[in-house]
Amino acid sequence: MAAAALREQLNALLSSMFSQGLVDEQFQQLQMLQDEGGTPGFVAEVVTLFCDDAERIIAEIATLLEQPIVNFDKVDAYVHQLKGSSASVGAQKVKFTCMQFRQLCQEKSRDGCLMALAVVRNDFYDLRNKFQTMLQVVPYLFFLVFDLQIITTYKVMIDNVCVSCNLKITTLVFLLLKFITRYIMARSYAGSF
Amino acid sequence: MRPDERKGVVAARRDQFPVGMRVLAVDDDPVCLKVLETLLLRCQYHVSTTNQAAIALKMLRENRDMFDLVISDVHMPDMDGFKLLELVGLEMDLPVIMLSVNGETKTVMKGITHGACDYLLKPVRIEELRNIWQHVVRRKFSTRDRANLDIYEECNKPSNADSDHAHGHVTCGSPDQSGRPSKKRKEYYSEEEDEGEEDNTQETDDPSAPKKPRVVWSVELHRKFVAAVNQLGIDKAVPKRILELMNVEKLTRENVASHLQKYRLYLKRLSAVASQQVSIVAALGGRDPFLHMGAFEGLQGYQAFTSSTSLSSFTPHGLINSPRNNPAAFGTQRVSASKSIQTVTGGHALNHSICDANKYHLSSPGNQQGNLGQGMATSLGQTQMQPKWIQEETDDLSTIFSGNGLANSGMSATLQGVTSSPLLPQELVECTQVKVGSQPSVLTPSVSSGHLEGTVGVSSSLLDPRVSQQTTIPLSEFSASGLPIHGLFNNSCATKLGATSSASTPVHPSDDLLVARDTKAGASSFGSTMLLPPDTEQKYLNFGGGNSFKHKFDERTADSLFDLKFVWSSGLSSQSASNIGAHHSISQRWNNSSSNNSNIGARMIGQPSSSASTVAPHAKSDFLISGDMLVPKNASDLSVPKLQSELSSSSCSFDGLLNSIIKVEKDDVSFSDDLGCSDFYSLGACI
Repeated sequence: MAAAALREQLNALLSSMFSQGLVDEQFQQLQMLQDEGGTPGFVAEVVTLFCDDAERIIAEIATLLEQPIVNFDKVDAYVHQLKGSSASVGAQKVKFTCMQFRQLCQEKSRDGCLMALAVVRNDFYDLRNKFQTMLQVVPYLFFLVFDLQIITTYKVMIDNVCVSCNLKITTLVFLLLKFITRYIMARSYAGSF
Repeated sequence: MRPDERKGVVAARRDQFPVGMRVLAVDDDPVCLKVLETLLLRCQYHVSTTNQAAIALKMLRENRDMFDLVISDVHMPDMDGFKLLELVGLEMDLPVIMLSVNGETKTVMKGITHGACDYLLKPVRIEELRNIWQHVVRRKFSTRDRANLDIYEECNKPSNADSDHAHGHVTCGSPDQSGRPSKKRKEYYSEEEDEGEEDNTQETDDPSAPKKPRVVWSVELHRKFVAAVNQLGIDKAVPKRILELMNVEKLTRENVASHLQKYRLYLKRLSAVASQQVSIVAALGGRDPFLHMGAFEGLQGYQAFTSSTSLSSFTPHGLINSPRNNPAAFGTQRVSASKSIQTVTGGHALNHSICDANKYHLSSPGNQQGNLGQGMATSLGQTQMQPKWIQEETDDLSTIFSGNGLANSGMSATLQGVTSSPLLPQELVECTQVKVGSQPSVLTPSVSSGHLEGTVGVSSSLLDPRVSQQTTIPLSEFSASGLPIHGLFNNSCATKLGATSSASTPVHPSDDLLVARDTKAGASSFGSTMLLPPDTEQKYLNFGGGNSFKHKFDERTADSLFDLKFVWSSGLSSQSASNIGAHHSISQRWNNSSSNNSNIGARMIGQPSSSASTVAPHAKSDFLISGDMLVPKNASDLSVPKLQSELSSSSCSFDGLLNSIIKVEKDDVSFSDDLGCSDFYSLGACI
């Protein structure tokens, strides 16, 4: 089924990201937050925020390093900020690169910083590409299509159930709806892909 | 009975206190801020965020009672995090938690010395955030009840009705006597503490109308005081010299003198108890009560809490909290320090070691280790040991609280012993709270309720309407049965959270959703509401309208339905931007809606099914359409179409919904029964 294939793809992507050390358990926590907490799109939002913010910081650092006299304290502040962002989102590799960058800032070496900046940029772009791929795949996977037709056919059954047992109705009905949902999902994905 | 009522109310409130706690998060990094906000919402706190310290300060200054806790980043462009920390601590006396990706010892130390309650490292884990509410509780207890407890112990020195106590202390157990102690307290206040007494708002007459400026003996101040005293030598310490050493402005010699007097009494008491302490403690097993500080489960945890808090108050919060958050920084040393702290009345030496610890020189590990066992033993809930232990202790507080049973008295005694020292404001407050709560709570299965009662009892006799409001608001959300009691709520946000949590779904309404709403509806409506979702026809709207539960549907329904939405969303976690957009827009409109009637619930229920039928790609437009369709049906419905579109837009998974419903069913069985067959038949009839 197309849905399963997509899911596999996504999982493969994520596990490769983990194994390469691009993301760490914080990212897993974010995913968990989304899955268990009922905040759809949370990971997408955070990742997008991170990408934009990191882009901005990297640009700022580049500008600072181009100055004739480099203000290393400012650079350090920016790197610190980037480190914080990447830590919050779980971007492990970028975080480590930032740590090294900070050390070079302490040494106040422009060349060293430029080199470190290049490394950070590479790592960040690499991560960003993976994130974007992930974000594109996921929406298709998790979109639910609810078919009213299906529901109406089951309506009679539901009504009877409702009437017969007061207390258990919601449980039964929702079990039913769950089944229906899954069926529809499978059907729609098979149809659309 | 007032105590019983209070107990129930307090219990309910206490159960819910961490839920709905209002947190202000400040961080210039948008990613961190977003993650932090989500984590806090997951912990069921109410969150406000800002990325500028100036705005944060403005928000705090506008209304002091708006927040319970502040979390701030260390590195911020417009203002240093430490500066903000100091300002907040000074002006608003709110607990502040620092946050940083930098976990170096010196930075953490700096944070603590500036008065931070805690220092968390990024990336923040949700486990760490789950416990931050204790800082709020601790601070509330310490500032509010310390003065009262001081007075209580001083004015209740004579005979104690409780035979367990060796010392004859008057038992002012019943809350009814709160009037008397308060009167005495006032006298004492006028006699002993002329100007500059602790800044407590007592609950009774003329509590917060001091004519002279009050001095808050905060942890910092007390720390400095102790440092000065130690420097001078406990025997040679005179107020004038202490004042000079402390070098704190706006502190008068009289303030220092009265504080010194209390401190001396405290030390005397501690040394008296030390010997008994050791023997009893040695006999008991070991369990780190500190870890259970936040858990009000059972007497053991209860007592552990009291004993740990009693000492914890004596030491800087940072020391206590950092073990949990900065294990790397201080490692076991801290843990042992905190444990040693738990030997509440460990003895004079122990106290001194703790005092020294105040200077961040964690006392010799050996000392701590020795105290560790004592502390742990002490904190164990061995009721048999308790009374004996308590007898040894000076227990002014015991007079206040009469033990109803052995356990109660044990608890009380524990608390009394713990809170005997006037110089341990927090522990006094906490112990008092616990104690009062414990009396009736011992008989109740949930210690938390007892604790709550204690809190309420104490607070009723003591004080601060603001604080009690804060505590009550979240607590009143749930009755013993778990159904939210909206009527008790004034704080809509708390209500909302309570409603959400009552649905027992791990849902977190966004801040948008926390709109002020009257929450009068009972939880029962939720159960009945859930019946509707399966129905796809809009005819069921009529059902909702005709439902006798109409009133109850109200907020509760809205909340539960929102929970529904979240639950559904969580299942499939749709990540499409459009969904997110729809979600937010709907949330906004939801906020704007003010109506809460059963129709909303019914319609909301009907909506999802009908809107769900729309194909996903066109979902957004469909939502609006289907929403509009329903709008005319009900005048007061802004929320319904929004909710419906919300439901349809969000990926629906019934797993979470099912769970929530099942849970609600469990909670609302009684109400479900009330539904009766008639409702169902009408349901069928509507088809």
